[in-house]
Amino acid sequence: MENVEVINITQKPKLNYLNNGDTVSSWLLTRDHKRIAILYLISVSFFFMVGGLFAAGIRLELLTPQSDLFESGTYNKIFTAHGIIMIFLFLIPSIPATLGNFFIPLMIGAKDLAFPRINLLSWYLYMAGAGIAVWALMQGGVDTGWTFYVPYSTTFSNTYVVATGLGAFIIGFSSILTGLNFIVTIHTMRAPGMTWFRMPLFVWSHYATSLIMILATPVIAITLLLLVLERVGRVGIFDPAIGGDPILFQHLFWFYSHPAVYIMVLPGMGVISELIANFSRKRIFGYEYVAFSSIAIAVIGFLVWGHHLFVSGQSIYAGLVFSFLTLVVAIPSAVKTFNWTATLYKGSISWDTPMIYALGFLGLFLIGGLTGLFLGAAGLDIHMSDTYFVVAHFHYIMVGGQVMAYLGGIHYYWSKMTGRMYSEFWSKIAAIVTFIGFNLLFFPQFILGYLGMPRRYASYPEEMQVLNILSSAGASILGVGFAMPVFYLIFSLFYGKKAPDNLWMLPGLEWRTESPPPTENFYETPIVTWEAYEFGEESGLDFEEARKREMATI
Amino acid sequence: MATNVDTHALDHHYHPPGLQHQFEDMGQQQESASIGMWVFLAQEIMFFGGLFTSYLVFRSKYPMAFAAGSNHLDVVMGALNTLVLIVSSLTMALAVYFAQKSNRNMQVIMIVLTMIFGATFLGVKAIEYTEKYNDGLVPFTGLNRRAKDDQHNRKSLEPESQHEQSLPSPNNPGHQPEAHGDYINPRGDFQWSDTSLVAIAQQGNFLTDWEKTGYFEDGEVSAARFQDKVRLFFWIYFAMTGLHALHMVIGLVLMAWLLWKAWRGTFSAEYYSPVEISGLYWHFVDIVWIFLFPLLYLLGRHFGGTH
Repeated sequence: MENVEVINITQKPKLNYLNNGDTVSSWLLTRDHKRIAILYLISVSFFFMVGGLFAAGIRLELLTPQSDLFESGTYNKIFTAHGIIMIFLFLIPSIPATLGNFFIPLMIGAKDLAFPRINLLSWYLYMAGAGIAVWALMQGGVDTGWTFYVPYSTTFSNTYVVATGLGAFIIGFSSILTGLNFIVTIHTMRAPGMTWFRMPLFVWSHYATSLIMILATPVIAITLLLLVLERVGRVGIFDPAIGGDPILFQHLFWFYSHPAVYIMVLPGMGVISELIANFSRKRIFGYEYVAFSSIAIAVIGFLVWGHHLFVSGQSIYAGLVFSFLTLVVAIPSAVKTFNWTATLYKGSISWDTPMIYALGFLGLFLIGGLTGLFLGAAGLDIHMSDTYFVVAHFHYIMVGGQVMAYLGGIHYYWSKMTGRMYSEFWSKIAAIVTFIGFNLLFFPQFILGYLGMPRRYASYPEEMQVLNILSSAGASILGVGFAMPVFYLIFSLFYGKKAPDNLWMLPGLEWRTESPPPTENFYETPIVTWEAYEFGEESGLDFEEARKREMATI
Repeated sequence: MATNVDTHALDHHYHPPGLQHQFEDMGQQQESASIGMWVFLAQEIMFFGGLFTSYLVFRSKYPMAFAAGSNHLDVVMGALNTLVLIVSSLTMALAVYFAQKSNRNMQVIMIVLTMIFGATFLGVKAIEYTEKYNDGLVPFTGLNRRAKDDQHNRKSLEPESQHEQSLPSPNNPGHQPEAHGDYINPRGDFQWSDTSLVAIAQQGNFLTDWEKTGYFEDGEVSAARFQDKVRLFFWIYFAMTGLHALHMVIGLVLMAWLLWKAWRGTFSAEYYSPVEISGLYWHFVDIVWIFLFPLLYLLGRHFGGTH
């Protein structure tokens, strides 16, 4: 570490986190949050592609009304694999473990996360859990759906439930450790002057996400443990044959898994807050409200799980309360959406690629959120339960929300993470293709669901074929939209222009260090004297001067 | 360690022992470690919370079956363990105190005492588990084979089943291992036949709605159906105390690590957060037991026991 100070700053190849050690062990045993974020980025994106292949299988099967490509049993395994990979291996770690890991310390002016070794451990736990889950898939997969509902999963299914459950259990601990690290880091590692209300909203939303990771994930861990024990020991509290309670499983499962959908979308909201404010060059409208709406989503999100049990034999009074609370949780989400829109108003909007993803997010999240209200209303949900309406709804939130934010965030921070510039032309095309393909894929599913097409079936009535073909066509367009960034981003690593330190002249701390950042993030601890998203003179950045300097270097 | 401090102080600005590079000073590191452990314990509460919820659901559904199971636990052993753990919490707290006072010898003594009490707890737990195993009260399939074998032997001494007498003998060449499979109940070899508590509840007319359907078959008390609910109790008992015992084992590993560090004189008034946060963990595990003991051993004893 002493060497860092000795090196002459003007020496040609600057030491940054990427070229500070190039052996395999310097990557696999690194404690640098930025390198761990890159490890996560590679593994998470890989599993996103694997999950996407399973999705392609589903859409291919649904081109025709008959179950002709796969047998029903195989189809069950395919949608289960799609669900498990996308949820446990991609969506939950997607933004927190990659962008969050990389940028939370940079944004608050810290050298690293509070517990670098725990951070590395969480990646290894993730890989171990993923390894077990993938092993189970290769052995023949699971057919329970990602929800593992009992008693099918404990008593009747002849597939690899135990291995998959253990994999999800281990990945859960990876997510708990990430959340723990974030909470402690945000509490204790902020630079001088970085008060709670000067933190970027990305950090706030990750704080809320971490609360859910800490308080909800252990419940799914114990539930999966009980499920595995029950399956192995052939006795247990979920088996109705001996007086056990399968509804208890659903309660415990959704006590985690509903808050978990906020784990999957809150970080995306954080990215969007960054993008909207920064590309409108304007302080976000109602900073405190957006910050607290994240916390409100996290807290109220714990009280709504019963809306997954409207048709599962839950008492109607419980259903009534859960229905009400579900409508309540829409309020903080609406606060965010309104504030983003109000931020755009009279902003100096620039149409860079990340902003296109952000605006796409706004539209898709709006549709996803409003259809969530349909499903939260208990009476209407009886009609919609387990139909494609539900599928379309949560894909609008998960893919239209989180994946758009993930891609937007990666484009936004690509120059900072790699020090290279991607092709602005191709990236804009990819963003637009993604938006079009996504809508073509999932909008018909709202109609299919309303018409009553149930989810998780390989066959359907013939009169629904047109909409299904549209949907599958959208899937192929969306696939192209997702594949394009892989090519031009990797291309940019080798042939991209070198990126300046502050590409868009933004005031955040992460833009006040080099691209890519040095191993300890900042050469000296920054002292923060400006508010978040401060584009005026108070930010301490001389934007005109800086722009001239950047123009000269490029 | 002392020499390490010196070299650090020479070639660098003063760098206290144990300060990691990402922190500015010891205060920040200690605060981080402490908050980290509290957050971890919050996680632990939710982890055990799932089990406590399951316990509460089934106790409220089947109080008589749970009382029957509870009466079969050894309350003296449980109380002894409670006492042992409370004393171990005291010695743990003293270990932190002596670390803060830079008193190496007393630190080591207190950590050793804590480990002895922790090991005692696990030893008592092992005795209890053995008793349950021998009484055929382990609810998992295949784990109770010995108890089942004993019963089988006793049975086979009776004249009508003489042909089976040599079955468990490993020396018998004609022995068919498959034969074992025949009598293994797919739901476990759980032994329970005493339904007296149901009669008490019936007389007092305080059976719950779930019990009114759950214990009876054709209007008669069904020993098998009652047994299922008692088995639920023991399933939860083993899950909760087993998970707690696992946490005790982890605690002992932590203590062994602390002991090694304390022996080398690592901890002082300046740097004691490992002792402090390990102490937090140890107290948490104790507190879990403080809840487990009344819930599992004491609730329902007033219904009068079979043991």
